[in-house]
Amino acid sequence: MKPLTFKGLALAALSLAAFALGHMTVVAAYPYWAMNSAMDRISQDGAAVNQWRHGQRATGRSRRIVRPSPDLANSSCVYDLAAGPVRVTAAPWDGYMSVSVYSANSDNIFVVNDRNAPGGVDMIIYLRGTPRPSGADLVVESPSRKGIVLQRRLAPTADRFGEAAMARAGDTCSPLTDGQG
Amino acid sequence: MTPNRRLRWLAPLVALVLALALGAASGLLVVMKGEQIGQSSHDHWLGNRGVGSTRADPWTRAIIARIGLLALNRSETIYFTRYRDDQGRAFRADCIYELSGADLPARWWSVTLYGEDDFLPPNDDGAFSIDATRTIRDASGRWRARIAMTRDGAPNWISSRAADGFDLSLRLYNPSPEALADETAIPFPAVTRLSCQGDDA
Repeated sequence: MKPLTFKGLALAALSLAAFALGHMTVVAAYPYWAMNSAMDRISQDGAAVNQWRHGQRATGRSRRIVRPSPDLANSSCVYDLAAGPVRVTAAPWDGYMSVSVYSANSDNIFVVNDRNAPGGVDMIIYLRGTPRPSGADLVVESPSRKGIVLQRRLAPTADRFGEAAMARAGDTCSPLTDGQG
Repeated sequence: MTPNRRLRWLAPLVALVLALALGAASGLLVVMKGEQIGQSSHDHWLGNRGVGSTRADPWTRAIIARIGLLALNRSETIYFTRYRDDQGRAFRADCIYELSGADLPARWWSVTLYGEDDFLPPNDDGAFSIDATRTIRDASGRWRARIAMTRDGAPNWISSRAADGFDLSLRLYNPSPEALADETAIPFPAVTRLSCQGDDA
């Protein structure tokens, strides 16, 4: 057997590095791809950004989000901080309710529930590296310009779902305009 | 450039491109088939402590993005999934199962059935889950639920109609501090196969 030359060793090291690069690129990119797909789906390919989209009660025909809970009334909002912070409000609910924020890499960067916010949720999301806004009960720093806010209300029956639909009708997810901060 | 000289450059280049492609393929394999990475198992219920976490490693984050996108972090909710009955046999829609347990250490809990495509099965039975608010208990506080294509008078029922293969998701919303600290303290529900069409249970 011929001993490995310097060129052979260098090629082996470079191949290993190329293997690692290919591996890590796919692993690191996958969450962004999954989130982008979800954001496109929720926002109807960008047509409905910075606004709540209230989901119907999950049924056997629901296909918008994988593994939906049939016991929850879900609302989602794709946020885009390109034009500045976004304000999110959610009316109080007499059962479990949470509002959670997901960054572009799919991390659940923030969650608040009805126990922490019994009077409802009032939150501002702003982009890391930009001035921290004020004027809401909660201020959340997002590491990414885009992401998803998800609202869950426990509503395991058709009647409760109807009540949740009424409760969330006035909720907002919209750019923070001058004077609101 | 002579053929020999060209080959001297071409061979390493092909090796590098091949290594890059193999690396990408291995990354995709981990994402698509790597559910067991970081997984905990309790009585056939499988969980992952990295769900929703900002501290998850890249592999866990990618796997969770595929199987549980937009899940809540552990402080808010703990998720478990099971694919098999207590004897380790994969769930089948043409079998009848009994799901049984006691109240779970959380503010609210549910058990939901999903088809192999990760969506609710395409039936109109309105019986995709049982949950802490609706489940009927006996005098001791324990409960039993039938998992089958038909209700047959069962007080608690999860319909498996039109599901083919399926799995069960257990959600614990606002878990107790004890459950958060030690998952083995959770009294996980049992799943017993009672009978199947066309064979002996």
